[in-house]
Amino acid sequence: MSHAKYNVINTHVHNIDGVAKVTGRATYTFDVTLPGMLYGKILRSPHPHAKIKNIDATAALALPGVKIVVTGKDTLGIKQGIWRRYEELCDEQVLPLEKVRYIGEPVAAVAAVTEEIAEAALDLIEVDYEVLPAVYEPLEAIKKEAPTIHEGVERNVNVTRHIEWGDVDEAFDEADYIREDWFKCSGQAHMCMETRAAMSNFTPDGKLTCWASTQSAYYTQGLLAGVLGLREGDVRVLAPYVGGGFGGKFELDAAMFCSAVMSMKLFKPVKVVFTREEDFIASKRRTPMFYYVRTGIKKDGTFCARESRMFSNGGAYTGMGATALYLSGFFHSFPYKWRGYRYDGYRVYTNTLPSTSMRGFGAPQAMFCSEQQIDWICADLGLDPFEVRRKNGHTEGYEVPGQAFIASCGLKQCIDEIEKWVKAKGELPANRGIGISSCGFMSGGIFNWFDSPYSFSSAVVTINVDGTVELHVGCQDIGQGSNTTMAIIAAETLGVKMEDIRVHSGDTAHCPADLGAWGSRQTLMAGNAVKMACEDAKKQLLEFAYAEMGINIVYDLDIKDRWVHIVARPERGLPYVDLVKKALRAKDGQRIMGRGYYTPHRKGMISPAYSYMMQAVDAEVDPETGKITIHEVMTAHDCGQPINQLGLIGQLEGAASMALGYAYLEDMPMEDGKLMNPNLVDYKVIKAPQMPEAGIIEIDTYEPEGPYGAKEAGEGLTNPTAAALGNAIYNAMGIQMKELPITPERILKALREKKEQEAQK
Amino acid sequence: MINDFHYLKPASLKEALAMYAEHDDCKVICGGQSLLIVMRQGMVTPEYLLDIKHVKELSYIKFEEKDGLRIGAATTHREIEKSDIIEKKYPVLVAMEEKLASIQTRNWGTIGGNIAHADPAGDPGPVLIALNAEIKFGNSSGETTVPLDEFFVDYFETKMEHGDLALEIHVPTPEPKFGCAYQKFNLLDSDMGIVAAAASVTLNADGTCKAARIVLGNAGPIPLRVTKAEDLLKGKKLDDALFAEAGKIASEDCEPVADIHASEEHRRHVLGVLTKRMLKKAFEQAQKAA
Repeated sequence: MSHAKYNVINTHVHNIDGVAKVTGRATYTFDVTLPGMLYGKILRSPHPHAKIKNIDATAALALPGVKIVVTGKDTLGIKQGIWRRYEELCDEQVLPLEKVRYIGEPVAAVAAVTEEIAEAALDLIEVDYEVLPAVYEPLEAIKKEAPTIHEGVERNVNVTRHIEWGDVDEAFDEADYIREDWFKCSGQAHMCMETRAAMSNFTPDGKLTCWASTQSAYYTQGLLAGVLGLREGDVRVLAPYVGGGFGGKFELDAAMFCSAVMSMKLFKPVKVVFTREEDFIASKRRTPMFYYVRTGIKKDGTFCARESRMFSNGGAYTGMGATALYLSGFFHSFPYKWRGYRYDGYRVYTNTLPSTSMRGFGAPQAMFCSEQQIDWICADLGLDPFEVRRKNGHTEGYEVPGQAFIASCGLKQCIDEIEKWVKAKGELPANRGIGISSCGFMSGGIFNWFDSPYSFSSAVVTINVDGTVELHVGCQDIGQGSNTTMAIIAAETLGVKMEDIRVHSGDTAHCPADLGAWGSRQTLMAGNAVKMACEDAKKQLLEFAYAEMGINIVYDLDIKDRWVHIVARPERGLPYVDLVKKALRAKDGQRIMGRGYYTPHRKGMISPAYSYMMQAVDAEVDPETGKITIHEVMTAHDCGQPINQLGLIGQLEGAASMALGYAYLEDMPMEDGKLMNPNLVDYKVIKAPQMPEAGIIEIDTYEPEGPYGAKEAGEGLTNPTAAALGNAIYNAMGIQMKELPITPERILKALREKKEQEAQK
Repeated sequence: MINDFHYLKPASLKEALAMYAEHDDCKVICGGQSLLIVMRQGMVTPEYLLDIKHVKELSYIKFEEKDGLRIGAATTHREIEKSDIIEKKYPVLVAMEEKLASIQTRNWGTIGGNIAHADPAGDPGPVLIALNAEIKFGNSSGETTVPLDEFFVDYFETKMEHGDLALEIHVPTPEPKFGCAYQKFNLLDSDMGIVAAAASVTLNADGTCKAARIVLGNAGPIPLRVTKAEDLLKGKKLDDALFAEAGKIASEDCEPVADIHASEEHRRHVLGVLTKRMLKKAFEQAQKAA
C-alpha cells in the first residue's frame, strides 16, 4: 500500500546523528573530560556471598595520587531500586554495608589522578570477609535448607506473579490432548558497545551534574537524587549519546553512584568507566528461566487452556526483574486466544549476577517454550502449524481478558506471508529445515512502579524566526534512532523538512521529563507527545495564516514541505518562513511554542498497543558435529505505520542478530557463581560479516493509539527467533531442543537419544 | 590496562637482533594481535617492546618452482591471503587465511607473530606442518632452520630462546599428486577454532598413498601430528573406511582440554570427524592434481 500521503514518514531518511557518529564527533560519556577531573575505579567482591567485617583503606590512601576511598559507610546506606513504589523491592545498596551477594558486587571505590593509580590502589584496600554458604540456582535456592540471601525473605522468593483468566480447569477438561514440557532458558549479556560509564561533577552550589550512559536520563536523575539525599531538580543528568542499552541501562549503576558519591565528597569531577570485564560480571543480565508448560488443545486444533509455572534466576537483587516476571507470563499467552490461562512466576534470589530486563523483557524465554511446544503438539496430532496459529491467533478487537485490548492486529497477514515464503522454498536438502514462530509485543508499558508524577512522555517545540525548529524531548536516543524518529514526526506534522529540525534530548535540565527508552515505548508514547506539541505550534501558526490570507473559515489550511496552503486549493498559499516571521511580529516577539504529552489511560494492564509478527528461520545441522548453519531469516512484521524506514530495518536486523545469538551462541556459564566468559573472545556474539540474510515483509495496519498509526518495532523481534530455530532443527532432525542455547553438544545428545528410542521401538 | 613500556623500533633486522640481545625484559611485537590481548589482561608486562613489523627485510613472499615458497616473518595474513602465487600453488593457505579472524586482524597480524606466539589454537601451524614447512629463526650470532613440526615445544613455547627472532617460513614445492585441506570447528565463521584438523595426502603413480600428514589444532599443547594414523594410510589404496579409521585414531591420540566451549568428549569426537573429512578432501585433491 502506498504511503504517498506523507512527505517524510516512511521515506528514506538517514539517522540524524549518523555523521557525528561515524566521524567520531559524537561525545559519549567516556569522552567527557573536565578540568581537574579524577578517575574512579571500583573494588569488587571475589566472593559470591560474604559478610563484610572490615575494610582497611589506609595503604590505598597512602598511595600518591589517590584522593579518596569510599565504602558503604560513606554513603547514606539507602536501599534503592527502580520499583520505587514498592519498598520491599528496593533491595540494593550499590556499596553494601553488611554483606556482598554476588561475585563482582562493588565493595569500595577509589578516585585518583590517573586511572593507573586508581587501579593500583584497589589492590591496597584490605577487606576482611566472612565467607557465607552460597546458592546459585533458583530450584536450589527455593529449598527450605538453602542459605538466606536477603534477611527476612523466605525461601529466597523475591517476588511472585499470578496471571489467570477464564476457567482453566474446565477448559482443560474440554481438551482432547494435553502436553507438558519443561524448558530451561539461559541468561544473556546486554553487550552494549559502550560499557557502563558516568562522569559526576558536584559543585559548591550544591548541585550535581552527571553524564551517564543511560536509557533514561529522568530515571537516573530520580534515582541519584534518592540515594544522595538531593532534590531531583538539583541533579542534572546528561546523556547526549549512549552506546546501546538493550534493557540493561535504566537502573542506577555503580558507575553513576560511585562517581557521584566521590564527587560530592571532593567537589571535583570524577569519571568511572567499566571495563568490558566489569560490564560482564557486574552489570545485570537477561533472566535465566525454568518453564513448565502444560497446554490443552482440541483435535481440530482449537486451543483450550494453558497453565505454566516459571522459576527465574533473579540473582542477588530485584532490578527490573519484577517486570520481566510479569511480562514473561503475559507474553507466554501471546499471540493466541486461550479460554483459560494461568501463569505462576517465581523470581528467586541467588548468589549470582542479578538478572533484569533485556530486549524482549522475558518474552524471548516465554516464546522459546510456547512456540516450540505448539509445533510439537501439531506434530503429535497431525495438524498444520500455520493453520493452528491462524485459527487461534489474536484478531483486531480481541480482548485478552482483564489484561489488554487489541485495537490493531496484522497477525493473520504475517502468517499468510510467511507461509507463502516457506512454501516457495520448496523441498529442502537433508538435515535442513525451516522453523516458524509467531508472537506479539507491547508498545510501551502502562507501568508506573517508578511512581513518576510526570506524564509518561512530553515534548516542547519552538520555532525560530528562520523557520528552524527546536524540538525538546525527554525520550532517550540510545542508538536505536529515536531522535531521528521524533524529528520525522515533527517534520511531518509541522510540514517542514528534516534539516529544519534540531532535536534536543538526553538532558534533564533542558528537556521535559520522559520515562525513557524501555519497553518499546518511545515511538508510540514520545511520538504522540511530539505530534501533539507540533500540532499545538502549527495551530498557532495557522491562526495567523487565516488572518493573513483572509480566507473563508470553511477552508482548511495546512503546511507541507514549507508551503502554507489551502488544503482544497494547494496552489493558494504562502511560504512557511514568511508566515513564521509574521507570526512572531504579531505575537509581540514571542516565539511560537508547542507543548505535548502522553500518558496512557484506560488501555488495560500492559500496553496501549501491540505489534505482531511471524518469523521463519532456515537452518541446517551437521549431523556428525552438531554444528548449526543459519541460511536465512525472514520476518513478516506488523508495526502499524512505519515511521523511520531505515531505522526500522536496522532495528529488525539487530534484533535478529541478538536473538540468534541467544538461540545458539550466547551463554553465561558460571562455576560457583563466577562467570566463566567475561570477555569478547569467549562470549560469542554475531559480528556483521557473520550475520545471515534477514529479510522483512512489512504488514500494513493502522494503530489508532499510535502517532500516525505507528506501534512497536525492534524489541519484539527478539522474541520469536530461538523458537523458530528450535522448530527448524525439529523439522530438520526430528529432535526437540528444550534448553538454551542450542549447542552442538546438545544437538548430538538429542540425536543419540532419538536413535536409542528408535532402537527400543 | 596495559602497563607502561619502552617502545623499540629497529630500522633493520641487524638492529632488531642487537636490540633484542641487549634488553632482558623484552617482548617482540609483530602485529600484536595476540600479544596486546594478554598485555591488556596484565598477564604479560614487559619493560621493552621490540616492534619488528616494520622491518622491511622480513616482509616478503617469494616463490620458485624448485625451491618452493618463502614467506618473511613480518608478512601479514592479509598479504598471504591476497597473494596470487600462493592462491595458485598453495590454495589451502589462502583458504585458511580467509577464515583467520577478521579482516582487521589479518591486516595487522603477521605469520611470524602467529607462529612464534605458539597458541595451539592458531590456524597456520597445522596447515604449514601438513605442507611440510620449516621455519628459520635466528639471533645476533646466527640462524637455525628446523621443520615446523619440531618447532613447537609446549603451550606458547617454541624452540626459540631469548634473543631469537622468527625470520622465515619455507614451504617446499608440493610433490606431484598432492592434496592438502584444513578445517576448524567453530560456531561462528572466522571465529577461533574449538578444534581443527589439517591433512595432506601424496599419492603414488599407482594411486596408493605415498605419504600422509594429519595435524590437529587445539588438540593438545602444540599442533599435534597423528603419526599412527598417517602410518596406517601409507602404501594403501585409500577409501572411506580408512579415513574413518584414521579419524578414530585421531580422536584417541589427542589431548584436548575441556572448557566452556566444548567438553573433552565432544572435542575428541569432532577431531575424528574433521580428520576423516580432511583426509578425504586432501585425497580427492591429490587424485585430481598433476
